[in-house]
Amino acid sequence: MILVIAEQRNGKLNRATWETIVGAQQLADATGLPIRVLVPGVNTGGVAAEIAAARVQEVLTLESPALEPYTPDGFTAALQQAVTELDASYVLLPHTYQTRDFAPKLAARMDRALITDVTGIKAGSEPAFVRPMFQGKLTADVVPQGPTPHVITFQIGAYRVDQVAKGTSAASMRALAAQVDAAGIREKPEAPFQQAKQAVDLSQAERIVSVGRGIKEQSNIAIAQQLAEALGAEIAASRPICDAGWLPMERQVGSSGQTVAPKLYLALGISGAIQHLVGMKGANTIVAINKDPDAPIFEIADYGIVGDLFEIVPAIISALKG
Amino acid sequence: MQTLVFWLLFLTFVGAFAAQVARRVQLIGAAPNTFSTDTFSFRARRFLLDVIFQLRTIKERPVAGVAHAFVFWGFVAFGGYTLTEFLRGLGIVDQTHSGWFNAYRTVLAPFAVAVLGGILYLLIRRAFVRPVGLGTKVSLESIVIALFIATLMITFLLTFRLEEGTMAERANWWLHMIVILAFMALIPASKHFHLVVSPITVFLKSPELGNLPNLDFEKEQVGLETVKDLGSKSVLDAFTCVECGRCQVNCPAWGAGKELNPKTIILQTQEALLTGERERKLGELYSEKVLWQCTTCGACENQCPVGIEHLPILIGSRRGLVSNGDAPEYLGAMYNNLERRSNIWGLGYDQRAKFVQAAGLETFDAAKHDVLVWLGCAGSFDADFQKSLRSLFAILRAKDVKFGVLAKERCNGDPAKRTGNEYMFQELANGNIEELKAAGAKKILTSCPHCVKTIGNDYRKFGYEVEILHTSVFVEQLLRRDGARIDSGPAAAGASPDGGTRETVTFHDPCYLGRYAGNVDEPRALLTRFGADIKEPERNRENPYCCGAGGGLLFADKEEEPGSRISDVRFKQLQATGANTVVTACPFCSIMLKGAQASAGADTQFVDLMTFVKDRL
Repeated sequence: MILVIAEQRNGKLNRATWETIVGAQQLADATGLPIRVLVPGVNTGGVAAEIAAARVQEVLTLESPALEPYTPDGFTAALQQAVTELDASYVLLPHTYQTRDFAPKLAARMDRALITDVTGIKAGSEPAFVRPMFQGKLTADVVPQGPTPHVITFQIGAYRVDQVAKGTSAASMRALAAQVDAAGIREKPEAPFQQAKQAVDLSQAERIVSVGRGIKEQSNIAIAQQLAEALGAEIAASRPICDAGWLPMERQVGSSGQTVAPKLYLALGISGAIQHLVGMKGANTIVAINKDPDAPIFEIADYGIVGDLFEIVPAIISALKG
Repeated sequence: MQTLVFWLLFLTFVGAFAAQVARRVQLIGAAPNTFSTDTFSFRARRFLLDVIFQLRTIKERPVAGVAHAFVFWGFVAFGGYTLTEFLRGLGIVDQTHSGWFNAYRTVLAPFAVAVLGGILYLLIRRAFVRPVGLGTKVSLESIVIALFIATLMITFLLTFRLEEGTMAERANWWLHMIVILAFMALIPASKHFHLVVSPITVFLKSPELGNLPNLDFEKEQVGLETVKDLGSKSVLDAFTCVECGRCQVNCPAWGAGKELNPKTIILQTQEALLTGERERKLGELYSEKVLWQCTTCGACENQCPVGIEHLPILIGSRRGLVSNGDAPEYLGAMYNNLERRSNIWGLGYDQRAKFVQAAGLETFDAAKHDVLVWLGCAGSFDADFQKSLRSLFAILRAKDVKFGVLAKERCNGDPAKRTGNEYMFQELANGNIEELKAAGAKKILTSCPHCVKTIGNDYRKFGYEVEILHTSVFVEQLLRRDGARIDSGPAAAGASPDGGTRETVTFHDPCYLGRYAGNVDEPRALLTRFGADIKEPERNRENPYCCGAGGGLLFADKEEEPGSRISDVRFKQLQATGANTVVTACPFCSIMLKGAQASAGADTQFVDLMTFVKDRL
């Protein structure tokens, strides 16, 4: 049996759990084992019902007052019991910060193998788990040995949420009670730390229109903004624009600003100085518009337009709207 | 009776002096020993120039410097006089009626006039002119000391007028002697202690600017964390400071309105030592924020007339912070890049390989090549700076210099070293040294002044010695030997050697080239050789104003830098020369200043020195 440990906070499911369920479904296809999902915490009914839509055998809740707030001691104690009792062959978790906190402890407590940060599964007589090594320079196919259960964590983004297979009807649900000795919990959690949220998180943007000094004047930023609106893109800039205060500092891309990796990066009048390039080189498709054919931005652009951005940008906007 | 009274006064004041000095000596003795007297001849020469001839004091502030020199030379000249009068007052021996003493006194008279003139000038300057470097409030104690010195000179000069044995003569003598005693008791706790210790401090100052011995990880050295970690030289420095503010007014961070003031760092050290705050965290004493504002340009240390070394304190404290995981966020990203990709940009080395191939470069072979060209992080990856390197290659090929590059390079480690990430620096350095040794390089050329300092000075501390030259130096030597297009001197003013009009340019000295390596003439010789009329900016040659990139600040965004950007301040200084072309000789200066130019929306042209030369060769 494959046991997925779901992660939720205050009744809200962590989306990475869906990715892990996709991984579990792939592992189930390779091994023919059924999938159960375990939701630890308090008031987990809503989350369990949500998960029950997936093609899994059963959704279990594991409740105890000692599981809220989260502590590694509380989770390890509760999960050790549940995993042993359910006799799982594989225990699958999303590789979240919380998992990183307790999964090694859980595996060590049970004296079982732990394979972390897995990005894929290779089917075979014994399924192999693919994980990066040496900071992504190599990948290794790891086949767990020894007695079950094997504990596996999946890298965030390794599977796509939209690939989760839904069941024909909701999976059955069952409640388990966890026996946790509150006196055995040594950690006293503080309220979760909330970092002041950056107003703009360009790293999550799918499309970015970025302006450089070629925009000439602050008032011209409006046309870049129109293009961004037409594309449904975020607006960003190189350092001189933000230094001059034409756009807020949080929209700066580069070695002294944000590092971005959108699907589309449109560079308007950006020469492509190295400290800018290193902030956006991860973009899937880079389109550069610049007057200077020798501008270094063309070295890394997938599409380059040598010309006047004040002619080209309005033309793109009207094409997008037309 | 008079002798007895004098003895009492003498013992009281000298005792007060000795007790205060003993306290400071004890603090110096308690600190980890960082004193060194290596390269004795260099130290002796500097002692002669900076102490005896007062050159460093005079150079930056000629009038005040000469006034100070008068006072200093006067003090030295008066040594024998004061001793003789004390021996007389203490009833030990009276030589005051001997012929030699009378002759000596006559010789001293012009000295006394010079000291009096000097000290009155300095007094007026301090009390009324009040230059910014001297601090916002007038130091009462300095005024008292100045009046003391004036009194000493006046009472000395009066001895020529007053009849021996008269009441007035005795009063005059007593006044003179009491002022000397009071002066002695006052100086250890004041900035005037420099007149006792600064000759020692100057002698002990490292011959190398920004000298940072490697941390020994085997001995669990982690850098400076608390006041008690400060080395003995730093403690001596703290007691030597004369508060002249040369470090302050030359500091680019201070000049751009940031909180860092090198003088404050030294005075905070002094106060913490004297109040016994041995366990005080340096990140708290100086403030972490302030410590990260230093570009390591070296102006403070280089301009200091009394031999203080600021960089071991500033970078040493950064080491302590980095060891405790307290580096700013932007450095974390850069350290990741260095760790994963061995370069500051985090780019893959396939890009360097592409450039090496496209530029037709050969892998260095000691049997085949004269020099090894070190590309550096900028040369390996920055398309803009690669234009400069292509110019260099064209010059070398035109002059038939055989050169090659390493198959593999890492960052030399300067950004890690200067930001206090010593562990990463040593990893990078050891890796590079291994490859340079294996390649058998004897002479290295690089267009990056930071590489010159790091490979030339810092790698020596691993026992690796190699000749490394900045390309401006090598190319100038090459062309001088060839006699290529030599400027015909003043006669050619207004016209280039080939008869055309001279091109007006300004040259920005990189800190690590002008100040650290002292190569100020070679770039200028190259420029004039090819018809440039150089408009010098304020702050040039050995004391340039930093571009703002050093010490890891290339990676800081504007919010992490209060005040103006240093690069904006420097760009304005360069613009003020009226020259529309700025010649640079460092990839990082070029990045910073081009950014400032773009922010200012100016149409100033930038050209790298090598491209300037190649285009005119």
